[in-house]
Amino acid sequence: MLGGLNTRVMLEYLPEIWQGFLATLFLSAASFVGAMVLGVLACALAIQPLRWLRAPAVVYVDAIRATPLLAQLYFLYFGLPRLGVVLPEMLIGIIALSLNSGAYMAEIIRSGILSIPRGQVEAGMSTGLSYLQRMRLIVLPQALRVTVSPLIGQAIVLIKDSSLLSLISVVELTRAGQRIAIDRFMPVEGLVATALGYLVLYYVLKSAAGAWQARNSLPGRG
Amino acid sequence: MIEFSGVNKWFGSLHVLRDISLTVARGEVVVVCGPSGSGKSTLIRCINGLEPFQSGRLLVDGTDLADRKALLRLRTEVGFVFQSFNLYPHKTALENVTLAPIHVRRLSRAQAEERGRALLEKVGLADKMDSYPHQLSGGQQQRVAIARSLCMQPKIMLFDEPTSALDPEMINEVLDVMVGLAREGMTMMVVTHEMGFARKVADRVIFMDRGAIVETAPPETFFTAPAHARTRDFLSKILHQ
Repeated sequence: MLGGLNTRVMLEYLPEIWQGFLATLFLSAASFVGAMVLGVLACALAIQPLRWLRAPAVVYVDAIRATPLLAQLYFLYFGLPRLGVVLPEMLIGIIALSLNSGAYMAEIIRSGILSIPRGQVEAGMSTGLSYLQRMRLIVLPQALRVTVSPLIGQAIVLIKDSSLLSLISVVELTRAGQRIAIDRFMPVEGLVATALGYLVLYYVLKSAAGAWQARNSLPGRG
Repeated sequence: MIEFSGVNKWFGSLHVLRDISLTVARGEVVVVCGPSGSGKSTLIRCINGLEPFQSGRLLVDGTDLADRKALLRLRTEVGFVFQSFNLYPHKTALENVTLAPIHVRRLSRAQAEERGRALLEKVGLADKMDSYPHQLSGGQQQRVAIARSLCMQPKIMLFDEPTSALDPEMINEVLDVMVGLAREGMTMMVVTHEMGFARKVADRVIFMDRGAIVETAPPETFFTAPAHARTRDFLSKILHQ
C-alpha cells in the first residue's frame, strides 16, 4: 500500500504541511499552558477541606471526563455564539483543549499529591510548618517528581486530540494533510504526511520525558 | 507542662482514649507502654494536635489544645519523633534539620546550619550532613529525625515507638541519644517497649490498656511490684522476650 507512495506530491505540499505542523505546535503549547493552569486550580480546590469550594472542581472534572472531546468542542463552537460571544475558531479550539486536558491534569496532579505518605505531612506539622509551607516545601516537590511523566503523557494525548480542531475549520496538521487528499485525491499521501508530523512531536516529548526522568528521579526510589 | 483532664477520644464507635487524666511536670521523663491498640500512640499524638479528641481538656505549656489557632505556635515548642522516621526524602540530612528553623523560626540559613550541624554532631552524624535519607541506615535516619525536632529547640519531646522499626543492632544508638536528652533535663514522653530505657531514665512508667491508664508508678515499683494483674501479665510477656 505504501509501496506506491507518491513522495513527489508530498514534497509539493511540504509548505502547507509545515504550516500545519507549526499551527499544531502552537495551539498544543497554548492549550497545554491553559490546561496546566486549570489543572492546578482544579486540583487545589479538590484537595482543600471546604466542601462548597470542592464542589465546582468535582463538577468540572466529572463533566469533562464523562463527555467526548468532540462534543465539548462543538458545544463551544455552536454554543458560544448563541451567548453573543464570537471568537476565532483557533481560540475556541484552544479553550476546548485547555478545558478538556485541564480536567485530566487535575486528576494527575491530585493523584501525585495523594501518593505522598501521610507521615511526610505529619513531620511538617510537628515542626510547626503551616499548610501552605507543607505543600510548598514538602508535598509538591515530591509530588511533582511523580507527575512529570504522566503529565508529558497527557501532553502527547493533547497533541493528538488537537487534530479534532480540523472539524471546526482550524488549519492545523490534520487539515493540511486533508488538502492533499482533497486537491489530488491522494488520501494516503495526506495521512502519511500528517502522521509523520505527529510522530516528530511524539518523539521529542518522549525523549524529553526520558531525559527528565534520568536526571530528576527521587534519590533511592528509582 | 502537660495536663490531661478527662480526655476522651473515639474513632467512630471505637473508644480509643477513656477518661485520661495525667500531669507531666517540667523536666519529667514518662514512659508509656501497653499492648498494641491500647491507645498509647494516640495519647501522645494528642499532645501536639496530630489527633483531635472529643471531650475533656488538654493543656500543653499553658496552651489549651481546643484552641486550634494556637496550635501552630504550640507545635514549634513540641518535638515529635515518629516510628517510621518520616524524613524528607528529597532533602539531605542537614536540610531536613534546618527546614523548619529557616521557615518557621525565620533563622538565616547560616544560623540554622550552624545549629543543625551542632545537633547532627551531637547525635553522632557529623560525617552524614550531606547524605540523603536513603543513604542512611534506620538508626542513622532516626537520629537525624531527633536532631530535626531538637533544632526547633522544643520544650517537650514526644517519641512514638522510636526504635520499633529498627534492626536490633541499631536500637542502642538511638536510645543513647534519648538517654542523653533525658539527662539534660528535657521533658519527655516516650511510647516504647524498651524497658531498659525506662529503668535507666524514666521518672514514671504508665501502663495503658484498651484506651485507659491502668497503672502509673516509678520504674522500680513498676517492674518489681506492679499493682494490677493486667500490668503483671503484660510485663511477663515482654520481659521474657
